[in-house]
Amino acid sequence: MDTEQGVRKKFVVPIGPQHPALKEPGHFEITVDGEIVTAATVRLGYVHRGIEKGVEQHNWAQAMYMLERICGICSHVHATAYALGVEALAGVQVPPRAQAIRVLVAELERVHSHLLWLGVAAHEGGFDTLFMYSWRDREMIMDVLEGLTGNRVNYSCNVLGGVKFDVDEKQADAIRKAIDYLEPRTHHYLKVVTTDETLIGRTRNVGTMTAAEAEKLGAVGPTARASGVPRDIRVDSPYAGYPAFPVRTITATAGDLEAKFIVRLQELFESYRVIREILDKLPPGDLSVRVKPKVPAGETVSRVEAPRGELLYYLKSTGGANPDRVKVRTPSLCNWGSVLATAPGHKLADVPMLIAGIDPCFSCNDRIVTIRRRDDAETWTWARLRQYGIEYYR
Amino acid sequence: MDVSQVTVAAETLLKPFAVGAFAQTPGGIEAVIRREDLPAAVKALIDGRWGYLAAITGLDHPWPKAPKPGAKPGEPAPEPAGPIEDRLEALYQFVSGAVIATLRVSVSYHDPKLPTVCPVIPSATLYERELQEMFGFVVEGTPDTGRLLLPDDWPDQVYPLRKSFTGLGM
Repeated sequence: MDTEQGVRKKFVVPIGPQHPALKEPGHFEITVDGEIVTAATVRLGYVHRGIEKGVEQHNWAQAMYMLERICGICSHVHATAYALGVEALAGVQVPPRAQAIRVLVAELERVHSHLLWLGVAAHEGGFDTLFMYSWRDREMIMDVLEGLTGNRVNYSCNVLGGVKFDVDEKQADAIRKAIDYLEPRTHHYLKVVTTDETLIGRTRNVGTMTAAEAEKLGAVGPTARASGVPRDIRVDSPYAGYPAFPVRTITATAGDLEAKFIVRLQELFESYRVIREILDKLPPGDLSVRVKPKVPAGETVSRVEAPRGELLYYLKSTGGANPDRVKVRTPSLCNWGSVLATAPGHKLADVPMLIAGIDPCFSCNDRIVTIRRRDDAETWTWARLRQYGIEYYR
Repeated sequence: MDVSQVTVAAETLLKPFAVGAFAQTPGGIEAVIRREDLPAAVKALIDGRWGYLAAITGLDHPWPKAPKPGAKPGEPAPEPAGPIEDRLEALYQFVSGAVIATLRVSVSYHDPKLPTVCPVIPSATLYERELQEMFGFVVEGTPDTGRLLLPDDWPDQVYPLRKSFTGLGM
């Protein structure tokens, strides 16, 4: 994309090795005038795997295994959105116990995801102590999820028509113990992010997005809620077990990076509350209902609230054993626009935190960033950009 | 505002542009829109503060050339429901609360042009880039035509989400 006059040489370097625990790399182009960002654009697709095409060649049940693996952090909401769509087309009623367990796992997933983000965002800002403590605490939830589902990632909790496994009293007690431990820790983190001088210096009044801008830019999830836009699919269009176990929308008004920290942490208290409620009031009954291999023809849209925001699935059936079309619109795709639009006017040193602020669905340290100055362009690794930000604010 | 009020509000805003009657779906309503009316229809929703654009979904509708499975040999192919040509369809999916309002715009393979909606909705640029590289739509006036998801060395004019694409043969 050409935005300035003058001849420029641009260097594009292939993405380096990926960190095995973290997700997608991406390529950013930041144009700067001295220290100040004047334009930003993004190139995605480095882990594009052709899943939307792939599911057309598999049957409805197999497709779920592929769609679950679009994302490691929010695998369960992908499977839930897909299953809800298929169940709508098939016209089946999923038993209430299964819908409640779906919500239980979804909220446990939100807890692990937000704690993961807390650590990663702290790390991007050079605050590694917070990174280590939050990830240590996150292990409580990872253990609980492993005990419940057999996996730390990709829980594979759903089947078409319900869930695969039940929750017994012993597992319920283990979950309650984990939440009891995490709740005071979360209060502590909220205090840290709102009082620590270094962190506040990098988050207060940085990356501010007004409610009007958030709406115009199509932001979703905590990114939008931090600007006071009350978008939360669990509340706006309740699905699965949420009608029986409602949650409250958590918003902030400042719209800056600090507000994004506050919203994600405060949402955890809602998650803890609803997890305890489900464990106390799990409805009796079956875990699933049968869905026939051929799904009746039709189109449907299902929307769920992933940890990053609204996840939308469009399904089309032509009456066969395979899906005709599955379209997946992930929340991060919506939120990129807000980063690219708020970056100009900020310092280059703010860019790592701006990107981390939307909780992008990737955190690979080997991302490549192209910095374009008036007469030349340089390629920096993410590590170099992050270090630049840390040293700038030292 | 309850769901029926929200739905009626969408119908009122879209009525000048809808071709034929609105279709009722479990999630909301759908309207077929002519491509030349698309920017105005989108602007009507945005100016009327009706929800936001949640997604743009591309669909491939190749004209069925093979007989239906189970058809007796020698039987003619089924009558196509629409014009006799391969078509693409773009679904502009707007949401407000629990209501989904879908604008359906259809074009043919040999004239796959759509007008951009980016002047009204700047964040639509990512969705329009995806439509172009995956299906072969040509979104006129879209600000960024760079590849979004496919690699730099992906061959031109090969659109992976069309039904006819079955792999690069590697």
